[in-house]
Amino acid sequence: MEPDGDAARLGLGRAARTLPPRLLLLPLLPLLLGRGLRVVAAASSSGAAAEDSSAMEELATEKEAEESHRQDSVSLLTFILLLTLTILTIWLFKHRRVRFLHETGLAMIYGLIVGVILRYGTPATSGHDKSLSCTQEDRAFSTLLVNVSGKFFEYTLKGEISPGKINSVEQNDMLRKVTFDPEVFFNILLPPIIFHAGYSLKKRHFFRNLGSILAYAFLGTAVSCFIIGNLMYGVVKLMKIVGQLSDKFYYTDCLFFGAIISATDPVTVLAIFNELHADVDLYALLFGESVLNDAVAIVLSSSIVAYQPAGLNTHAFDAAAFFKSVGIFLGIFSGSFTMGAVTGVVTALVTKFTKLHCFPLLETALFFLMSWSTFLLAEACGFTGVVAVLFCGITQAHYTYNNLSVESRSRTKQLFEVLHFLAENFIFSYMGLALFTFQKHVFSPVFIIGAFVAIFLGRAAHVYPLSFFLNLGRRHKIGWNFQHMMMFSGLRGAMAFALAIRDTASYARQMMFTTTLLIVFFTVWIVGGGTTPMLSWLNIRVGVEEPLEEDQNEHRWLYFRVGVDPDQDPPPSNDSFQVLQGDGPDSAGGNRTKQESAWLFRLWYSFDHNYLKPILTHSGPPLTTTLPACCGLLARCLTSPQVYDNQEPLREEDSDFILTEGDLTLTYGDSTVTANGSSGSHTASTSLEGSRRTKSSSEEVLERDLGMGDQKVSSRGTRLVFPLEDNA
Amino acid sequence: MDGQQELPAGKGEHPFQHQGAVELLVFNFLLILTILTIWLFKNHRVRFLHETGGAMLYGLLMGLILRYATAPTDVQSGTVYECGKLAFGPATLLVNVTDHVYEYKYKREISQHNVGPHQGNAILEKMTFDPEIFFNVLLPPIIFHAGYSLKKRHFFQNLGSILTYAFLGTAISCVVIGLIMYGFVKAMVSAGQLRKGDFHFTDCLYFGSLMSATDPVTVLAIFHELHVDPDLYTLLFGESVLNDAVAIVLTHSISIYSPKDNPNAFDAAAFFQSAGNFLGIFAGSFAMGSAYAVITALLTKFTKLHELPLLETGLFFLLSWSAFLSAEAAGLTGIVAVLFCGVTQAHYTYNNLSSDSKMRTKQLFEFMNFLAENVIFCYMGLALFTFQNHIFNALFILGAFLAVFVARACNIYPLSFLLNLGRRRRTPWSFQHMMMFSGLRGAVAFALAIRDTESPPKQMVFTTTLLLVFFTVWVFGGGTTPMLSWLRIRVGVDLEEDQKEEPASHQEANNLGKNTTRAESAWLFRMWYGFDHKYLKPILTHAGPPLTTTLPEWCGPLSRLLTSPQAYGERLKEDDADCIVSQDELAMSYQEQSPSAGSPPARPGLGLDRSPSPPTPPNKENIYEGDLGLGGFELKLGPTPGPPPLN
Repeated sequence: MEPDGDAARLGLGRAARTLPPRLLLLPLLPLLLGRGLRVVAAASSSGAAAEDSSAMEELATEKEAEESHRQDSVSLLTFILLLTLTILTIWLFKHRRVRFLHETGLAMIYGLIVGVILRYGTPATSGHDKSLSCTQEDRAFSTLLVNVSGKFFEYTLKGEISPGKINSVEQNDMLRKVTFDPEVFFNILLPPIIFHAGYSLKKRHFFRNLGSILAYAFLGTAVSCFIIGNLMYGVVKLMKIVGQLSDKFYYTDCLFFGAIISATDPVTVLAIFNELHADVDLYALLFGESVLNDAVAIVLSSSIVAYQPAGLNTHAFDAAAFFKSVGIFLGIFSGSFTMGAVTGVVTALVTKFTKLHCFPLLETALFFLMSWSTFLLAEACGFTGVVAVLFCGITQAHYTYNNLSVESRSRTKQLFEVLHFLAENFIFSYMGLALFTFQKHVFSPVFIIGAFVAIFLGRAAHVYPLSFFLNLGRRHKIGWNFQHMMMFSGLRGAMAFALAIRDTASYARQMMFTTTLLIVFFTVWIVGGGTTPMLSWLNIRVGVEEPLEEDQNEHRWLYFRVGVDPDQDPPPSNDSFQVLQGDGPDSAGGNRTKQESAWLFRLWYSFDHNYLKPILTHSGPPLTTTLPACCGLLARCLTSPQVYDNQEPLREEDSDFILTEGDLTLTYGDSTVTANGSSGSHTASTSLEGSRRTKSSSEEVLERDLGMGDQKVSSRGTRLVFPLEDNA
Repeated sequence: MDGQQELPAGKGEHPFQHQGAVELLVFNFLLILTILTIWLFKNHRVRFLHETGGAMLYGLLMGLILRYATAPTDVQSGTVYECGKLAFGPATLLVNVTDHVYEYKYKREISQHNVGPHQGNAILEKMTFDPEIFFNVLLPPIIFHAGYSLKKRHFFQNLGSILTYAFLGTAISCVVIGLIMYGFVKAMVSAGQLRKGDFHFTDCLYFGSLMSATDPVTVLAIFHELHVDPDLYTLLFGESVLNDAVAIVLTHSISIYSPKDNPNAFDAAAFFQSAGNFLGIFAGSFAMGSAYAVITALLTKFTKLHELPLLETGLFFLLSWSAFLSAEAAGLTGIVAVLFCGVTQAHYTYNNLSSDSKMRTKQLFEFMNFLAENVIFCYMGLALFTFQNHIFNALFILGAFLAVFVARACNIYPLSFLLNLGRRRRTPWSFQHMMMFSGLRGAVAFALAIRDTESPPKQMVFTTTLLLVFFTVWVFGGGTTPMLSWLRIRVGVDLEEDQKEEPASHQEANNLGKNTTRAESAWLFRMWYGFDHKYLKPILTHAGPPLTTTLPEWCGPLSRLLTSPQAYGERLKEDDADCIVSQDELAMSYQEQSPSAGSPPARPGLGLDRSPSPPTPPNKENIYEGDLGLGGFELKLGPTPGPPPLN
């Protein structure tokens, strides 16, 4: 997840790939000597004679090392140039308002093209075999020291290979170079994407639809996983009858496929929604579902892998093993959730009680490191880092974000946005590349067709029934057109791909990988491209212009004030208003505004507002008033002084608040953002007519908190300037 | 298969899955701790320990704990396997252990006497990074950031001096250190501490070249905070930045110096080959870096990418990274390429970016720089204890300390003397002393030293480098503030104040002829400035006079094509005023917010400024301040400059 951190990790990955010195001899030689240890040297050749005078060899080795480093650079460069190309094309598309192809789709196309070139444009290298002998050992070590004619070489363990695959170690050097270790996706590329998703969840609508989102994410994923699994099992049976299946394919494999393919990732659709300002509820439902979906799918797939019945038949149903898997699912999920939430809370506390906000750089770095630590901590404890990072992102956005200085807010947002953007496009272009460079594809038409049918049925079987049930409870019903749209937006993306590529050792897994790849292509291009027509065909409200909403909100803001409005997290300085009227979150007015929200939400909201916010941020009512008297001391030490201050000098607070707001506004919209004098001068002038600015500034708060892409932000920036001028 | 066999294997594999997680976590915590401590220090205005020093301290503590509090774990992992039939080290090794085939990847070659330390403590082993990480991951952002935030105005004004210090100075210092160390090595041989023939003259030179890379982050941070004289700042900063580039290339050329017969004798052919190599690599990397930056500048100029800051930032980042990778792929030095790429990006591309992207790129690289720098310093602390092949040799270390100081003196004083002959604005003695004093060693020296630790001489070099870095960062870094006051160097030079003088003089200058104000600048600068202003700026950015006026007639179509419409616009409006504006632009700093289309709200005052009346000071200050390109936290301090306690 992380920028330089990211770069650092990336680098780790990259350096790890740095190649061996001399090597270039051929593909492999199986040989066995000794009792248990067989050493097979897989070397790709370049026809160097291996046994030579040592001096010559030394030189040759150095040259090889340099050469391989160079090749690594070239392969990375390929990706970077691909991304550059993608960026330029995307700009062209956006510039001309072409919407049928999203940047991810484009990245895939470019990836495909390069894949074709690499596949058919570079010669395959081949080599000869040679035998070696070694001593014996009966377990695998992480490092191995090998004494080769007086020289010591150190080897590190890469992984276990199934014996059948020994001969298929890639022969084309270039193809091997552009193939990444699948763990790179999980350790480097996915975390920033997922964290960003969590960090930019539209909070208001997310919490309002919390119940539905959770239902879709958990129940929906489970339903879809089982339905796809069962359908695929039928397909596999069919293939067996037809004789197309050349290796084992168990029921658990089918379920595994169901789990990985249940991770939806409608980036494309969401980007279009965002651009067209489609209905916010629909957006929140889709986005929330897809984000949580990923988390559920990861954990689900790992618990399916962990399903190991005790008896002889390892693939029969076994209640004990089944419950163990369920237990693993719950354990990992809640463990990751806790871990993410805890680090989020720790960060919030640290930023609240130190004055780190005087140094935005330090603050940003701390924020980044803490978030990254979440991932590492979860991985180190055996939980799922990606899930932990997701919840960490949500917690950070909900609490820590409010404690950050204005500059850090924009820094963190932009930082993760850039990382997210790069990582996402990287993954998609890698997908395009993988179609041709991955060497173990198993294309099975029946399986692929079956999979396509299954995912659509699986999606249908989860969206429609669940929506029906949810509509029973919801006041704000999910319309048919929304349901159709949700059904339609079942795109598959980075997560499904990463899960599928993680393990491609067995025949079944390879077939799954190929199928997943094709499904991703199909859905991103076809379904993604069809979003705009679909939206208009389904008559879904688009162009829900922010201004409209603002007007609406504005009135609410004026009369109800923030305290009761779950709209967004009030920024810290905001609480004057909150305290003013926020003492009574259950006042009549309060309840009316959130008529549509479920009791779950209401319960959560009041708990959050009364206890969590005051503890973790500078906003909310002082804890001393909300906590029972017995913990008065604790309450006093946890409540930040600002909260008390907020209560009295309302007038000044007001202008002060506006000042910060102005700052904020400028930060986004203006060019002189660098938090130095110039924005200061603006603010100064703003403060003069401070009170009149309340309106626009509160709008700003609202908008800013939506936390969406900066395209919007920048356009807002320009808009923003007008109220400023007007008032002046 | 049967689950029983599978289970142990699965368990054995478990640690590999999370390989790295724990180690990275340790680093993360160290950094978090560092950040909090630094905050505390800054909050209390404690200046004797810079964050890098703090990071080193924590790294040291952690190294101590790891070294002495962890038990050797995987005893068997150090077993050496004999493999008679393996005549070479293949890239991938497939090992069949009781029917499970494991794939091993080649990591490196270890020399015989180093095998011992590898048998034993797996934790120490894990905490050791592959040295290439420093070059491929951690240094590039640091160096790029340095290039990207060079203070342009002062940098170009002092270009001549900086280049002299960087090139000549580094060469001198390298040779002097090499010679002194050779003397000490001879002494050690006669004292029986070293076998004859172990430590060649080239090794000494190698040490000299890597020791010549100065890195006064600590000093610079303090200078910045106290607003020390900008000329001194620029001299030091520019020198240290270019220094690194020179030292890296120099080290590389020395390491490939291999005369035909006697490896230690002087061989003219080999020497010239090395020298040619140096020039070739340096020029190649320079060209590569600038080429990428020029491409970026053109792309950002001719597309309207600034409508989408995210894409713009992405493009900027990717192309800068490409410069590194291309240079590496072409066999040049990526770091050097990245440095010049940064300088060029700042000079041209930066002006084409949207205001949002300007901020984003600055902050992004600043952030990356911060993290990478602290990771490196933290790792240095750690390496003192976790690196297993240290060779402490008191005599050598003593010699190195002596050599480093002597060499620094030989570099600064004579060169300053020579330069003062030519400079109108002399470098006073106090500045020279300060430059002498600020010869800190840092990340680059460390990275160069750790790159190759195979042979005993190289290990000795590494150990010594580590100690030198510790010493200089803690002692010199901590002593900067007292030193400044002792040398009576002007601090609290308010940039605003400096600024106010400038525009005024420029106004006059424009009336008289602009060269008079640049009295202090060398002809090199003037020539460069003219060329840059007339040709490069108009081609690569939206600023400057239209090319149609500056280029000769015959390339009319080309110049029309390359000139952006804005340039005409300004030109047409008010010829004179335009000149002033762009003049200021340069004086103020390379990046006044150039009139990039699409950010009209960004420039509240420009419409007024364009009139020939002197630009309003507050506005300029802001622009100027925003341009320093330094830490955001420092900027925050700026408005309330606590008068430095020195005076």
